Amino acid sequence: MELKFNPVTPEIIEQLKAIAPGRAFAGSEINEDYAHDEMRFYGQKLPDAVVEVVSAEEVSAIVKLANEKNVPIIPRGAGTGLAGAAVAKWGGIMISTVRMNHIKEYDLGNLTVTVEPGVLLNDLAQDAEKQGLLYPPDPGEKFATLGGNVSTNAGGMRAVKYGSTRDYVRAMQVVLPTGEIVNFGSKVPKTSSGYSFVQLMCGSEGTLGIITELTLKLIPKPKEFVSLIIPFEDLESCIATVPQFFLNKLEPQALEFMERSIVEMSEAYLEKETFPKVVDGVEAGAYLLVTFDGNDRDQLDAICEQCSEVVFENGALDVYVADTPDKIRDAWSARSQFLESIQAATDELDECDVVVPRDKIADYVNWVVTLQDKYHISIRSFGHAGDGNLHIYACKEGDMSLEEFAEKADLVMDEMYTKAIEMGGEISGEHGIGHSKVKFLEKALGEKKMDLMQGIKKVFDPNNILNPGKVCEKCD
Amino acid sequence: MEILVCVKQVPDADVEVKLNASGAPDIEKIAPVINPFDAYALEMAARFKEANGGAVTVMCIGGDNVKDTMKNCLAVGADEAYIINDVVEGADAAATSEIIAAAVAKLEETRGKKFDVICCGKESTDYACGVVSQLLSEKLGLGEVVDVIGFEPKDSVLSVKKETEEGYNMVEIGTPCVLGIIKPDYEPRYPTMKSKMAARKKEIPVVAVDAAPVSAVKTVKIYEPAKKTAGVKIKEETNEESALKAFAMLVDAKVL
Repeated sequence: MELKFNPVTPEIIEQLKAIAPGRAFAGSEINEDYAHDEMRFYGQKLPDAVVEVVSAEEVSAIVKLANEKNVPIIPRGAGTGLAGAAVAKWGGIMISTVRMNHIKEYDLGNLTVTVEPGVLLNDLAQDAEKQGLLYPPDPGEKFATLGGNVSTNAGGMRAVKYGSTRDYVRAMQVVLPTGEIVNFGSKVPKTSSGYSFVQLMCGSEGTLGIITELTLKLIPKPKEFVSLIIPFEDLESCIATVPQFFLNKLEPQALEFMERSIVEMSEAYLEKETFPKVVDGVEAGAYLLVTFDGNDRDQLDAICEQCSEVVFENGALDVYVADTPDKIRDAWSARSQFLESIQAATDELDECDVVVPRDKIADYVNWVVTLQDKYHISIRSFGHAGDGNLHIYACKEGDMSLEEFAEKADLVMDEMYTKAIEMGGEISGEHGIGHSKVKFLEKALGEKKMDLMQGIKKVFDPNNILNPGKVCEKCD
Repeated sequence: MEILVCVKQVPDADVEVKLNASGAPDIEKIAPVINPFDAYALEMAARFKEANGGAVTVMCIGGDNVKDTMKNCLAVGADEAYIINDVVEGADAAATSEIIAAAVAKLEETRGKKFDVICCGKESTDYACGVVSQLLSEKLGLGEVVDVIGFEPKDSVLSVKKETEEGYNMVEIGTPCVLGIIKPDYEPRYPTMKSKMAARKKEIPVVAVDAAPVSAVKTVKIYEPAKKTAGVKIKEETNEESALKAFAMLVDAKVL
């Protein structure tokens, strides 16, 4: 598909400055950060204008203007995406929601919170905790906006027990690509009232509408938490243990697997060594990091004991316990810096965040390891073992040229996505499609399903001005 | 060697402490943890024991509320744990060191063994006085090395690595002695499931000591620092105009 838009003229920029005085920027006024998300490898381009909006009315006025002038709109939160969804690949007007960062209302009767889309995940998590409440979605990037989290249906560590972001979205205010301000959903916990606009919006990556308000579900915060660091001699026995958690009716809040090399890389990055490397003379090769939560300490202790029995039967070298807040924090700090430490240790990287059935994780990861030799490329992986969502990175190392790396990485990605689909998985567990993964999604879904997606997009956005070339549109 | 590690339980330092309605720190809902410097002291003592033999005892002034912290200590290298049930509200550093000194005597009498090394964390993360170990060594009449990041036996004395602003000093001290421990280049270990379960079964005796400390220092008032007011942004069309406006504001505020 070829996209044709009009340029953003000085006249349009003047109009944007009138709509959002002091918050509309063009040309050299635009910060370089707006040219990319966290994956610069997928391409960078500055938008022609950036407007840091503060209200739905402003968004609506900008969208109406963009429709009239046929220029693209690119919604953007904190720019922490990993698939290029918030990159202005075709130029246009970027709408930044970072200034819409107010937590508006807690409704304790309905256990909901209403926020503006630019509120950071970290800020809501901390604020909810003060009310004794938990916002369960827990993506690794804590400084993403909630609007961005909803737009990619971000998952995170706790998805294994609590589900992903879409399970916590009750209602939203949206500016449609044609400029109307609409409300989708409500505070009620159940509905059987036609197609769910709320669910359609979740994971739509800013292609169907611009979220200007969110009402999110909260739960009472569990009183007790315990994390376990479980070393294994090798990755194979480590991952093979994962299904045992579920076969034994254990219900972890989080269940992550990690190779020792990535742990060491992250610890070096943080300058703090946390994970035990040698257990009774045996070198640990991989780890499971598990968290259980509950309201009763004795019950939690019993769960940990049962878990220990299960993992020992499956080759665990030992079970290390973090049951105080400082120890739990330390145990997870290395995990939360995996991506940053890989980025720091490599010149360039490409990533995939496939999701495969839990019982296929071991087969899949072991197969992925073989690609290193096939393509002579460094591959690092970690992931949410509990929900089958794997983060696998092809890393440019040594004196490989960027062109050679890009070519190899593309082949590796293609093989990995194809294999994941063969095993009953999906292209993306939580990072989304953006513009960088469209061709892989197209290959996985096939023509009919891509047509359906494009049809939905057209109903919402007849002029195709909202975040074009993303998710379901393969563009030249 | 017999090593005693003096432990204090403090509120998790990662949680911001506010004052309650009566002006006292509102720490009731903040999870208690072992004082981080004491955790380093315990890890150092445990490593010494593993390398050289001996036993590690921990003690903590408190009541039932410190029992979990003591159990955690038993799971990460301590052989015995004692709760010194002699809490004096508002005890200053001198009074605290007097209670610890009395506890040392009591534990030595109860256990029938003298301590060779008494380790204290450099300071606690709650009130951060940082003088208890020095006062304790004075009360016990023992020598002390502070800012310790490691120690090992050398002939009949201890060889102690002490961190200074310029680097390190290697010093020697005879036993018994007191060591003030700071952060070494390793982290305290995690308890294992087995060590946790073993710790759960261990008795933690509660010991009363014969001390009547008097606090010379009394806390008169605890208050939060004044909040900084937001600054004023001056963004005129040109730099010259911005500078002129800034000067005008300073003149108005009678600063110039």
